[in-house]
Amino acid sequence: MSLVVSRTADNLPVPASDHAPIVLPSGEPLPGPVPGRPRRGTSTIGTLLLCTASAMVLGAVIAVYFAIKEGSTTWPPSDVSVGTYIPTMITITAIMSGFSVHWGVYSARRNDGRNAVMALVLTLFLGLAMANLEWLSFVRSGFGFNDHAYGTLYDILIGYHLLHLLAAIVMLLVLSFRTMAGHFSGDRHDALRAGAVYWQYTNVVWFTVVTVLFIFSRHG
Amino acid sequence: MTDTTTDNQVEGEARHGADAPSHPAAELHDPWPKGADHKYIGSLFIAAALLFLVVGVVLALVMRAQLATAEAEIVGDKTYRQLFTMHGVVSVFLFLLPVWLGLASAIVPLQIGAARLAFPRLHAMAFWIFLTGGAMVVAAPALSDVFHGWALSDPIPVKLGLPGQGPDMLLLGLVLVCMAAVLVVINIVVTILQLRAPGMTLRRVPVFSWSIMVSGAVLLLALPVLIGAFALLFVDRHYGASLFSGFTGSRGGNPLLWPRLFWFGAYPVLWALLIPALGAASEIVATMSGRKLFSRDRASVALVAVGVLCFAGWGSEVPTLTRARPLWIIGALAVMAPVALLVLNWLATMRVAGKEGDRDAVRRGFASTPMLWVLGMLPVLGLGLAASVVSALDAGRDAHANYWQVGQQHALFFGAATIGAVAALSFWGPKLWGHRLSDALGKLELLAIVGGTLLMVLGMLLLGVQDMVVHTSTFDSNDEWALANLVASAGGALVGLGLIVLLLDLLGSVVAGRGKPAGADPWGGQTLEWATTSPPPRHNFDALPEIRSDTPLLDLRAAPVPAAAGVDPEEAS
Repeated sequence: MSLVVSRTADNLPVPASDHAPIVLPSGEPLPGPVPGRPRRGTSTIGTLLLCTASAMVLGAVIAVYFAIKEGSTTWPPSDVSVGTYIPTMITITAIMSGFSVHWGVYSARRNDGRNAVMALVLTLFLGLAMANLEWLSFVRSGFGFNDHAYGTLYDILIGYHLLHLLAAIVMLLVLSFRTMAGHFSGDRHDALRAGAVYWQYTNVVWFTVVTVLFIFSRHG
Repeated sequence: MTDTTTDNQVEGEARHGADAPSHPAAELHDPWPKGADHKYIGSLFIAAALLFLVVGVVLALVMRAQLATAEAEIVGDKTYRQLFTMHGVVSVFLFLLPVWLGLASAIVPLQIGAARLAFPRLHAMAFWIFLTGGAMVVAAPALSDVFHGWALSDPIPVKLGLPGQGPDMLLLGLVLVCMAAVLVVINIVVTILQLRAPGMTLRRVPVFSWSIMVSGAVLLLALPVLIGAFALLFVDRHYGASLFSGFTGSRGGNPLLWPRLFWFGAYPVLWALLIPALGAASEIVATMSGRKLFSRDRASVALVAVGVLCFAGWGSEVPTLTRARPLWIIGALAVMAPVALLVLNWLATMRVAGKEGDRDAVRRGFASTPMLWVLGMLPVLGLGLAASVVSALDAGRDAHANYWQVGQQHALFFGAATIGAVAALSFWGPKLWGHRLSDALGKLELLAIVGGTLLMVLGMLLLGVQDMVVHTSTFDSNDEWALANLVASAGGALVGLGLIVLLLDLLGSVVAGRGKPAGADPWGGQTLEWATTSPPPRHNFDALPEIRSDTPLLDLRAAPVPAAAGVDPEEAS
């Protein structure tokens, strides 16, 4: 097989065939590395960027919340009374799930599959508990989605967390199966770490939502 | 640069046996199917963008036909409103956005010496989400009348008008488009961060990829705001909430919020779609001058400065935002300074090349079609910047909403960004598709598109001086607006003609494959994408040269050539 080598004006030879390396006039292929696999942590960095984008969406909603709140005479509307019991329970569960998901990654990194699976399943249960409580907070709020701007934003903010939580639960479920299958080890656990990062981000969303809705809530 | 590439083909010696297995790099990366190949998906994005460009331009030409003469009755006021809304939405979200996403997807991995994207399948998914969203956007007006103006700010509060599903579908389509764009941007940014070839530090990332990284960072922060805004407006319309209706103090929200939310996201997005044009032009200027940029570091810093400062001036676009007006004016002005510095950087590069470079080579380089596109972009960009200074000083005033704003936006964002995209297509198209675009047709397209844009923008700016209000669908024969409108319409028609020729050129040269074979390196390129074949194999590179700067091929060419052992240089040339 002979290769057709074309040349540029600068006398640099270039390969014409798909798989031919660049060849120097000396006849030697160019020195240099073959393009390799991605560096470690690629999934984690991608997840972090995804979380950044998601945080900007949340930021837009929160900006709308504060703009409407500042313009209102009473906030929340006088007939609204939301208790702090459910959000407190969710917050405590979120903190616990933050520890348990980290336990999962930590175990996987130490090649301790048993503990890792245990931790991830525990995290999944805590996540389901949070989703359940959030649904309860919709049902028990005592106002509808369209009753007033507060109701709309209350449901959207909590719903935004619920949406992320459900995505995180699906993600973690898959990762638990992969852990059971022994996909992760001390050298290879990037996907699991990325899932954990997403889980922690979901918790950050919750803490933000709680701060906005229940801590800086009174006005007028 | 080398029209004689094909004539120069010589038989080299066989360096691999016929039975040699394919290269290890191929075995490592070819498992990714074609549908997840970044060059394939990038080409799909570019093709879809060009398709939507045709839609946007046809809408614009109908409007310009309506305004070409006084008291024309081609379309009524109601249709005209739909036309300018769809024209704006389609041009920004379905043309400028995907054309840069597509070019970035196709070129960036090649430039940084990567074999693939960080998440190949995610990219394929993003494209099909984008196409679904785009189809929904284009189909929306068929359901019912959509908003008035691409800022979607009329009618707000939404309950005041526009029943029907059209606006809902438009909003959902835009949410999908923006989400797809976010996924693409994440993928490209992670690719630049994680898959750079060994030896390529972040400072050695080529300037186009650098501009894509800056633009990506801006899009990553700004597009989600638009996603949130569109979703909230959808909630208002579809589920009967009242975030953007009602008045303060009542149980509703605040109608003044919408334009602020929209422009907080949209203003940086517009700049983010200009930044890659600046990066591509930097790359083309350096390559065609046959040397490094006058100051690569300053170019990098200028691009980052545009990316940072473009978040400062969004208030200048909101008509009702008079609070903190000096701040918006300063913000809108500040972002232009680094653009001007970058242009000076290009001019300095060209001047040094003219003084010190090989005269013939430089002349050939400057006369090449991509370089001519960049040179044609300069007056449009300059006019856009000048008009933007006036606009910025006028920020927050009612007079802002006249045709001056239309002219300014069409020069800076439509004109410069689009011409930059065409320059990039004629520069990198040969690499991606293996065939060069026609040089003769290229000059024709250039004259029509650049001349038409200048004419159109001048007409629009004149209308701004004459205070014609935007979104006016017709005018009296005794108005003074007739001449300027005719000029703008003639310019628009020229642009349309140029785009038709461009599309025919692309179809003939690339799709039908009648263009001259590109050869691996048609322009004397400086970056890694020119070190592989055109089109590149699925895995991009078998081997890479050693990377010691942002222009590895230039280094290679400057390096002393070892004594010929295999090929006799005399025979080769």
